[in-house]
This record gives sequence, structure tokens and C-alpha cells, in this order.
Amino acid sequence: MPSIKKDTSFTRREFIIGSTILSLFANSIASAASEKTIRFGLTPVFLNEDLELLSAITSYLEEATSHKIILTTRRTYQEITALLLSEQLDAAWICGYPYIKYQKDLELIAVPEWNGRPEYQSYLIAGKDRKVGNVDDLIGDIHAYSDPDSNSGYLVTNALLHKKGTSSDDFFKKTFFTYAHRNVIRAVASGLAQSGSVDGYVWEVLQEIDPKLVSRTQILEKSEFFGFPPIVATRKSSKTTEIQTLQKALFDSPNSASGVKMLKYLRLSGFAQPDVQLFDGIAAQVKLLDNGS
Amino acid sequence: MKFKRHKWRLSSSTKLPLLVLLLMGAISVLISERVLSRLSNGQEEYLQGLSSTYLDGLSASVVPAVLRKDSWEIFDTLDRMSPKNIRIKLVETIVTDTGNVVLAANKPLKHPTLSKLAAEFGSRFVADRAVLDVESNLGFRMRSIYHQGKEVGRIYATFDALPFLQERKNVFYTLLFTNAVLTLFIASFGFFAVRRMIAPMRVLEEHFLDAASGELKAISRDEFPKGQSDASRMFDAFNKLVESEQERGKLVQNLAREERLAGLGRLASGMAHEINNPLGGMLNAVDTLEKHGEKVTTRQRSISLIRRGLLSIRDIVKATLATYRPERDARDLTRQDFEDVALLLKQELMRRKVDFFIDLPSKRETFPNIPAGPVRQAMLNLCLNAISISKEGSDVFLTLVEDESYYNLSVTDNGPGLGEVPLAIIEADDKIQVPDDMSGLGLWMVREICSEIGATLSAKEVSSGGTEITLRLPISGKEVVKDAA
Repeated sequence: MPSIKKDTSFTRREFIIGSTILSLFANSIASAASEKTIRFGLTPVFLNEDLELLSAITSYLEEATSHKIILTTRRTYQEITALLLSEQLDAAWICGYPYIKYQKDLELIAVPEWNGRPEYQSYLIAGKDRKVGNVDDLIGDIHAYSDPDSNSGYLVTNALLHKKGTSSDDFFKKTFFTYAHRNVIRAVASGLAQSGSVDGYVWEVLQEIDPKLVSRTQILEKSEFFGFPPIVATRKSSKTTEIQTLQKALFDSPNSASGVKMLKYLRLSGFAQPDVQLFDGIAAQVKLLDNGS
Repeated sequence: MKFKRHKWRLSSSTKLPLLVLLLMGAISVLISERVLSRLSNGQEEYLQGLSSTYLDGLSASVVPAVLRKDSWEIFDTLDRMSPKNIRIKLVETIVTDTGNVVLAANKPLKHPTLSKLAAEFGSRFVADRAVLDVESNLGFRMRSIYHQGKEVGRIYATFDALPFLQERKNVFYTLLFTNAVLTLFIASFGFFAVRRMIAPMRVLEEHFLDAASGELKAISRDEFPKGQSDASRMFDAFNKLVESEQERGKLVQNLAREERLAGLGRLASGMAHEINNPLGGMLNAVDTLEKHGEKVTTRQRSISLIRRGLLSIRDIVKATLATYRPERDARDLTRQDFEDVALLLKQELMRRKVDFFIDLPSKRETFPNIPAGPVRQAMLNLCLNAISISKEGSDVFLTLVEDESYYNLSVTDNGPGLGEVPLAIIEADDKIQVPDDMSGLGLWMVREICSEIGATLSAKEVSSGGTEITLRLPISGKEVVKDAA
């Protein structure tokens, strides 16, 4: 009776093919591990349409974190905040106002420093040729705001008017949002709006970059100092190594050439350790308006 | 009729080129108007198309913002969509709602947000049609913004139309210059060509005008155009006309001379009778003296008869000499001249059985400044004429009436009146006007005398029948003659 021998050994060809496939699979796993990405959101705080600036940020962060950086920009603060809260972004540079609004879900990563301090002001601006002295002179104006989720470009002026016992709708003839601080300056400079609420940091930087535009406006009032728009992450993602790497990269930015280049573009001096108390002022205003409404 | 040359009158050689110039000018204006009109239409169509493209794109972009009345979005769109690198420059764009309230404009300081668009500004626009304003150098275009078939807003766009209008101006000046050069060139060519063509006509015109002024002369061979056979034929024809007219003139003169000789013959015949009458008596007296001369009474009567006969003959000879002396008598007219005329007419009056009456201002013996010779000749001719047409037994009157400046010397008859030809001779002021059939030469000669001494000749029918022919002699006759010369 013939016996049947079961051949369980590999042929040479089978071995070579198998080891090649295994090798390719192992390489792809290793590659996937080293190609981690950080999805970083930018609100239109500054010149977010400036491609060179975006390139400088990406270059530095990719160099400093060794991760691929995917920068995401949107027209409104709300869109970036929504992407962050829905974990479609790992971190984002947002305004202090949405940070306060969603403080329980968000973790401060770093606070940019401008002129050596992590604070800025809101400016109330008007057309250069207008004879106005203070906010009371702006009654009946067409007023330009930056964004409904902006502290300097909306919240500060609303809180101010609230303290005066009025509201934006009652005080101004008409208001509109330009969804960028630079656009507020353009609207006021062109005469489309008689006055506007703008980020003091943006106004000052634009005075340096585009003095012709800014010269057609005048500062009517400067607010108290508030915490500079921070870099935040969701509480969940803030524990990841990627975010910790990102945080370290931000703190180390003054120490490398590409970091300095990025900071120079942003006219920032560096990034400070997160300090929640910096945003107490904004929180107080939110509370004021919430109580008032 | 006198032909006068007016210096201001343009000659044909100027008029024709001028006409060409005017015609070319009119054609130039017409062509320029058509070209500019076509260019204007083309430009407006171009502006229409270009502005439509811009406004269609803009309209589609701003619809959502207009629905939300979002001034910033509209402004930002206007700013971003501002046309660049095209032939026309956008001056301003305004977006309004349907009530013409400004939602945003690219120049907000000029058109503030939420302000009502000025009616004056809006009136420059015509719905959906580009309008060019040459005064402000601007183009205007309005377009409604529709959403779901309903008007939700309007776009008012103002363009800088200067490039268009500049182009029009350039075309206009180019046309003007080109047409002016062409017109001048053609007119100059026409001027010289026409001048050359009608030069013979001018020569002919000159000669005709001279002829009309009484200086009829042939065209010299030097003035004949070379190489223009038609004109040469005309010149030849004119010269033949001149030749025949000159021959006719000579004929007239000959006839006049013959007429004078005929008149002289008639008078000589009359004179012969006048002389013959006393001559018969005188011969009888001589016979009587021969036979009965020794008788004192007979001798005295015969000598007296001979004396009267000789005196009568002397008067006749004297009168004839005074009238027909070759050189015109330069002395002033006297009463005696009238009596001489009567004497010379005596035989003809007797033959025709016509009575002759002379009526002169009483006591005046001489008439200063009236030349005796020509006036006697004229009186004689007129009286002979009057006698010849008077019926037997009728009267002829020779009257001289003096007024402030003139002597009116009239010859009146009871004849059948003047015919058309004699009347034409009297009234014609043309020196060379001679009766075609050579009739009335006597009258023509009187007119020549009048012309010579500065008198005027007129004729009129008298109420009793017959004709009165009057010579109006200026009292300062000689001065007038001098002036007329």
C-alpha cells in the first residue's frame, strides 16, 4: 500500500517570496511609526493667508518634532474650534475667548509672547480723519468686528458697551464681521466702517508691514491686557507624545535658526509656559456678558 | 446797357476749384461722421460686452452677500474682483439694494454704506446698457442682481472711458488731417486744371465785356490757346463777328455821310431855286438897264432890283455856309441861326405846303454855351424829318423854352406819330445801336450830335396828334461836354 508523504518544508522560491513580503510589511509598519503627523489648526489671528509664514511654521515644527505637520486654516474661529473639539485637529492656535468657552475640554499647551510678555490688548479704532475722542463718539457708527468668537475683535467691545449699559446692536447703526483682524483695519481704513474692534498685536504688526493701510486708521481706545491667543489641545490629545513634542518645540523655538525665522515672521519673542490665570480677564468678560444676557 | 467789371466777383477759374473744395469738404465731413459714428458704436458695444462680463461675474459672486446684506463680503468681493490689466479702468462700483441704499462700494468714503444713492448719480445710468459721457470721460453701466428670478440688488459701475474717447479724438484728428490734405491737393489740382481749361473763356469774356462797353476789338493771335482746337474755333468765330461788326459800322458811317450828302443835295436844289428866282429878276433888270439905262428912274429901279436879288442870294449862301462848314462852328447859338434854319427849309416847306413857326424867348439874341453848329444841324434834321412826315397844310413848330438849367428845344409836328424804329433810336443809349435796315439815319445822327454835346433827346406824342421831339441842352453846355469827355 502506497504511503502518502506530507511535504511540509518550504521550497527555496517560496522562502524568497515569503521573506520578501514579510520584509516589505515590516518596513511599512516601521515607516508608519516614524511618519506620525500632527494636525495643527490656525485661526485667522494673523496673516494666515501668508504662504511664506505658513511654510516657516511648518518647516520649523516638522524639524523640531520630526513629525509631519498638517496645518489647517479656516475662515472662522468657530470652524477651527469645532475641528479641534471633534478631534479632527491635534492642537490649534485659537483665541482666548473660545478657550475660556471650552476650557473644560481644552488644555493650554503654550502662550505666545509678544514684546516679551504673553499678553496683548484690544484696540478700538476709527478712520484717521474722524474727530472722535472716545467710544461714546462712535454711537451710530457702522462698526467692523473681526469674529464673533474673538476676544479682542468682538468680546472686549461688547463687554465695554455692556458696562455702559448698552449693547452693540443698540449703540451702533450696523455691525458686520470681517473674519480677520486685518480685514477690520481694511474696512475702517477704506471707510466701509467708521470704526472697528481689532487685535492690538495685529494692528501693531501691520503698522510695520503695511504702514500705508494702518496710517488711515487711528486708535481710539486700548483695552486692558489679556492673555495672548494660546496654543491649545484637547485634554485627551495633550497627553500624547506628539503634543508634548510640539509643546517642547514651541518652547525651544528661540533656540534654532528655523525657530527664530518663524518667530520673526510672527513678530513674537517666544512661547511661555501655560498659565490659566492669564485668561482670567477674558473669563470675567464672558461671565459679565453671560450674566447680563 | 453798360457792363461793369466788379473786382469782388470771383472768376470761373476760382469758382470751380472752390466748388470742388466745398464738395470735397462736404464729402470729408460725411465720411468722418460715418467713421466716427461707426467707431462710437463699436466702442460702446465693446464697453457693453466688457462691462457685461465683469458685472455678470460680480453679480454671481455677490448674490449671497447681497441676500445677507453683508457689507464686508460685498466690499471684499469688489476689491478682489476689481478688473486689472484690461483696456478700461474701473473707477467705482457700488452695490445697492433694490431701494438704491448702498450696501457697499469700492470707494466707501464717496458712497457711504447704508446711504441712499444720489439721484443725480443714478440718473447717469440706463438699465443694462453702457453709456459713454464725453464731458466727464466716464462710462456708466448698471446691472440688476437677480436671485431666483427676483431682483435683490443693483450694481452701478463707472468706468474710465478716456482711452475710448482719446481714440475717438485721435481718429477724428487723423481724419481731419488726411481729408484736409486730400481736399487741398485735389482742390489745388482742380484749380490749376480748371484755370488752364477756362483761360480761353476768360479771354473771350474780356473781349465780350469790352465789346459791350463799345470797344470792340479782335482777339490777337498771341492770345489764341495752343492745343485747344475748340477754343481756337470760338476765337476765330468771335474775330469774324468783330470783323463783320466793324464792316457794318463803316457801312453805317458811309450811309450817314451819304444821307448828309443827300440832305445837302436837297438843300442845294432848294438853294438853286432860291437863287434862280432873284436871278431871273436880276437878268431882266440887266436887260432893262441895257435898253433903258439912260433913264434915271428905270436905272435906279433896276439897280434896286438887282441889289435885292443879290442880298437874297447872299443870305442863302451865308446860311448854307454856316450850316455845312467842315469845321463845326464854335460860336454860341444866336437868334439868327433859327432864321437861317427857316431860310434853308423854305424851299422844302413850299414844296410840301407846310407852315413853319419859330417860338423863341423874346429879346434874347444869343444863347451862351450852346454850340451853334451842331445845334443848327440837329434842328435842321429834326425839322426836315417833321416836314417830311407832315400832311399838306399842317404846321411844324420849332420852340425854345428856357428853364433853370436847360434849354428845351422842341420840334413839333401834326404827323401820324413816331413809329417803333425812330422811337427806339431816340431812347437807345447804345452808341453803336444802328437801325438794322439803316432807316432813320437822320434821327440817328441827331442822337449822335446830342451825345457829342451832352444833350438828351426825348420824344412824346402830343395830345392834338403828332410828335414832339425835344433836345434838352444844359445851359452850362460846354462844361458838361467837357465832363462827359
